[in-house]
Amino acid sequence: MASSLDVAKIAVDRVRCTGHGICAQTLPDSITLDEWGYPIVTDDQADPDEAKLAVKLCPARALYLR
Amino acid sequence: MTELAQLLEDAGLTGRGGAAFPTAIKIRAAIEKRARLIVNVCDGELGAAKDGWIVEHHLDELLDGVRLVAGISPHTRFAAHRGSATAARLAAAGLPVLETPDRYVSSEETSLISLAHGGQARPMTKRTPFVYGGRDPQGRRVKPTVVLNAETLWRISQINQHGAQWFRSFGTQAEPGPRLVAIGGYVARPGVYESAAGTPLAEVIALAGGMTQDVRHLGIGGLGGIVMTAAEARYAIWDTPGMKIYGGSIGPGIITIWNPAEDPVDTVNRMLNYGAAESAGQCGPCMFGLPALAEDWRRYVDLPSGTSARRLTDRVALLNGRGACAHPMGVARFATSALRVLEPELTGRAVGRRYLEGATRG
Ligand code: SF4
Ligand code: SF4
Repeated sequence: MASSLDVAKIAVDRVRCTGHGICAQTLPDSITLDEWGYPIVTDDQADPDEAKLAVKLCPARALYLR
Repeated sequence: MTELAQLLEDAGLTGRGGAAFPTAIKIRAAIEKRARLIVNVCDGELGAAKDGWIVEHHLDELLDGVRLVAGISPHTRFAAHRGSATAARLAAAGLPVLETPDRYVSSEETSLISLAHGGQARPMTKRTPFVYGGRDPQGRRVKPTVVLNAETLWRISQINQHGAQWFRSFGTQAEPGPRLVAIGGYVARPGVYESAAGTPLAEVIALAGGMTQDVRHLGIGGLGGIVMTAAEARYAIWDTPGMKIYGGSIGPGIITIWNPAEDPVDTVNRMLNYGAAESAGQCGPCMFGLPALAEDWRRYVDLPSGTSARRLTDRVALLNGRGACAHPMGVARFATSALRVLEPELTGRAVGRRYLEGATRG
C-alpha cells in the first residue's frame, strides 16, 4: 500500500475553476471533463510531482492539494 | 468553557441546521480560536420555520445560549432574511442583525461568513473549516468564525439548565434530545412542533392534524430533501435510519404534506426549476448542471423510458460533490427520490397516452 507520502489528494475549488480543462491534460488518470469542460475527479489520488505541476499550471489557481 | 463542550458532548447535541455535526467539536474549535459567532436565524430551506419560531417564543433562552458560547461579544451577529418578521423582531430587541438577501443559498454557512466579512452572501469553498479562519475567493482574510443554528443555541441553553441526562431522556441513543419540526402544506394546523427521533412519522404529522386519506405524497427536508408516498409515511420512523431507507434524513426538521389536488409532477417541476434558478452561478457544474437536470426531468416526464431515466441518473451523479456548497447535491437527492416515487405513475401515464393515440389512429 502506498504511504501518504507517495500520493497527493487533489481537489478543485469550484468557485475559482473556470473550466480551462488543463488539469485533465496534466492529470489524465485522475481528471476527465464534463460536457462544459469542467473537471470530474475520477480518482483523487495522484502522483505528488505530477499533482504539484498540475496545480502550478491551473490558470485559475483552482486546483489544490489536500 | 471547556466544561460546556464536555456537557454538550455528554448530551450528544448535534447541529440542528441540517448537517447534524457534533456541536461539542465545533464549540471546542470555536473557543480555541476565539471565533466570532454568527447565529443562523434564516430558516433558509423551503418550508423551514423553526428559527423564527424560537426568536418569537424563546428569545431569552436563545440569548442565554449565545452568551454561553460567545460571551457578550460586539462581533456576534444574528443572520435573518432582509424584510422578514424575524429580522424585525431581532432588531426590535436591539440585536445586531446580519441581513441576508432572500435567496436559497444566501443562508448557507459560508455565505453568512462571507457576508459578515463585507463580501456577497454567496458560498465559499471550504478548503479548511472557517472556524480556523481562511481566505475568501478574492484572497482576503476571513477571521475565525463559527455559525450555529438558532435551535442549536436554544438547546445549549436548555442543556446547561437541565443537564445532559434530561436531554438524553428524549429521542434515541444515537439521536438524543428534543428537536423542532416545521410541519406545513396540506395539514389542518401547520406550525412548529417539538418532536424527538424514534417517533413514528405518522405520530409526528398528527401534531399538525395528521394526513387525510386523500394525501398521496409528502416532502421531508425541503428542496435538499426527499419525496415519499403517504403509504410509506404511515409506517416510517422519524429518525435518520428511518428516513435513510427513502434516501433522506431528519435534517433541518421539515415535513411538507403535498396537496393531493395538485399534480405531483408539476410540484417536482416547480422545485427543480427553482433549484436551478437559485444556483449562485459560481460553480460551473452547478450553474449548468441544475438547469440541465430540470430539462432532463421534463424530458423524462414527456417520455419515460430506460434511456431518459438513465440520462437523469447520470446527471445526478455529476452533481454530487462538484460545487462549493451542498446545493447541487441536495437538488440531486430530491430529483432521485422524485424519480423513485413517481416512476410507476409516469410510466402508467405514458402507457395510457400511447393507448389513446393508438385508439384515435386506429
Ligand atoms: S485547470 Fe484549473 S481552471 Fe481549468 S478546469 Fe482544471 S481546475 Fe478548473
Ligand atoms: S454549488 Fe451552486 S449554489 Fe453552491 S456555491 Fe456553487 S454555484 Fe453557488
